[in-house]
Amino acid sequence: MSELSATHFLLLSAALFIIGMVGVLTRRNVLVIFMCIELMLNAVNVSLIGFAWELHQLTGQVFALFVIAIAAAEAVVGLGIVMALTRRADTVDIDELRQLRE
Amino acid sequence: MALSVLVFWLLALVSILGALGVVVARNPIHSAIGLVLSFLNVAAIYLVARAEFLAVVQVIVYAGAVIVLVVFVTMLVHPDDLPEFHGRRPLRVATGLILGIALLAEVTAAILARGLRGAPGPWTEETVAAVGGNTSALGQVLYSEFMLPIQLTAVLLLAATIGAIVLARPEAVSERLAVARRLLTISLAHPRGLDQPEPPLALPAGRDERVKPAGGGRPIVLARSADEFTERPAWGEWRPR
Amino acid sequence: MDWQRLLVSYLVGFVLLNVLLGLMAYMTWFERRVLARLQHRVGPNRTGPFGLLQPIADGIKLLAKEDIVPANADRLVFLVAPLLSFALAPLGAAVIPFGETLHLFGVDVPLLVADINVAVLYVLALGSVGVYGIILGGYASGNRYSLLGALRSTAQVISYELVLGLSLVGVLILSGSLSLQDILREQQRTLVIGPLTLPNWYILSQPLAFALFLIAAVAETNRAPFDLPEAETELVAGYFTEYSGFRFSFYFLAEYINMIVVSLLAATLFLGGIDGPIADGVWWLALKALFFLFFYVWLRATLPRFRYDQLMGLAWKVLLPLALLNIALTGLVRLWGIGAL
Repeated sequence: MSELSATHFLLLSAALFIIGMVGVLTRRNVLVIFMCIELMLNAVNVSLIGFAWELHQLTGQVFALFVIAIAAAEAVVGLGIVMALTRRADTVDIDELRQLRE
Repeated sequence: MALSVLVFWLLALVSILGALGVVVARNPIHSAIGLVLSFLNVAAIYLVARAEFLAVVQVIVYAGAVIVLVVFVTMLVHPDDLPEFHGRRPLRVATGLILGIALLAEVTAAILARGLRGAPGPWTEETVAAVGGNTSALGQVLYSEFMLPIQLTAVLLLAATIGAIVLARPEAVSERLAVARRLLTISLAHPRGLDQPEPPLALPAGRDERVKPAGGGRPIVLARSADEFTERPAWGEWRPR
Repeated sequence: MDWQRLLVSYLVGFVLLNVLLGLMAYMTWFERRVLARLQHRVGPNRTGPFGLLQPIADGIKLLAKEDIVPANADRLVFLVAPLLSFALAPLGAAVIPFGETLHLFGVDVPLLVADINVAVLYVLALGSVGVYGIILGGYASGNRYSLLGALRSTAQVISYELVLGLSLVGVLILSGSLSLQDILREQQRTLVIGPLTLPNWYILSQPLAFALFLIAAVAETNRAPFDLPEAETELVAGYFTEYSGFRFSFYFLAEYINMIVVSLLAATLFLGGIDGPIADGVWWLALKALFFLFFYVWLRATLPRFRYDQLMGLAWKVLLPLALLNIALTGLVRLWGIGAL
């Protein structure tokens, strides 16, 4: 571990991903859950970049670029859904948004 | 220990602290600040891994666009009444924490025991420098090998844009008309826009011929002088008697 | 990493930062004097000769004022937001080349802080992160007017940043590089059209991009006629209503530093930077930047403020399509190699 390698990147990636996952599991605010999903996507990018760096490949960076583009698209649609939800149900609490279950 | 490892751990520490802030903070704006902190440090880590272009794209797209959008929506949606201010769900928090810690331990063990190594590719620091830096190299790969995916990404972004417009559009036609009227008459951010309920218009009896219907539901009242309708003050708050 | 090079660029950065802070103080004096002339007034002329000590007096006054935090403010965010704005503003100047490499005491001193190969994107990234100072300040004040000012400002800055970025793509296509030093080197060549011999400045080959850049830059720095976030008459000064003392001055000074950095950037990208008819050097850059700064003040004295819907309509319905058109045209010219471009 004294030389920088993909292992470091993978550890950081795992930590960020799991923090994001715990956030998705425990939080009640739709917007915070949304941020946690962004955090998880970003964690995946870290490991891709780490592999690209260790293996002298650019494919990992290209994948990360696509992930960023898709995260942007997801953000736009997700926030549109949040806006529509709050207009209809007037809340951002995930526990109160259960019309589909009832 | 090499200097780059030290720099890496420093950046990683701050980015993990930011990520913890996202999960722990009760106010979503504070969560967003933590997220930006985490993203900026991850961008710096990309610089350590010689991915300059991606580092800048990370800052522009994630920190500059996505999170600003999230903050924007957070401000538009209920600034006062937030779910977490009414308490958390302890059972759910405990389950999440246990699952998270278990998964973290498992993944860490797997990473540290990693035996599989891939074959190194052609893009060493020298070859990247020979084609003119990270951006040129990435461009060459992106627009030769990944031509079809990038076109598809463009289509995806277009679809997302249209989807967002459809989702964010007010649902009822009347509501849409009201929004259009509000946009056309007063500036967007006027503190007392037309969305306030219409105060009841008190008209003097027997003079109804002077009231003419106009477009948009608000009648036009013809008056010779401003003092003719003293029931409705021209300035100040409307108070029903 | 070569420690000597690191130390040299650190020192250059230190000098640059101090010069920038001094310039920024005198920019306020310059603006007040020029504005006064344009409005047939005299302007500050009592403190020192020609009022030259006025910025110092203002600084002392602002520092000595009380720092008020509103009762329902988000305290920590309220305290940090102006610092964020102020700290990010001068970073853009780090990638602007101020001249050829000097040789001092046997050491090569490059006259720019960092020659990174994504310099143009770096400047755009700084702009997009700079929004946080505004939006967090407006949110943390706990005041409706501030919040509305912040929302307006964010929408404006995001929209115009898009235009700003796209207007630069034409320049990037022609120069084939994201490094400001390469762009500058490209512009030092000469352009021969028939009997004329012109410098290869991008204002000549990219006039539309230049116009778009200029408009977007004025909007990006929240200056008149795009100064809606701080519209005194409608929003009681917008996002910094609740700020006082030196925190207010941080917002104020960040705006001026942003103006200087954008002027330097415009001069470097479109007007050949340090390139001049005779004796290339930093003075040419200063002269061009001074012209842009004067242009800012001139605009403020001349034009009334936009209405909010006009502002957004201009960005999305006029400037953005024009920027895309410019990219398409430049791409076609580049593809078919028309002319000596």
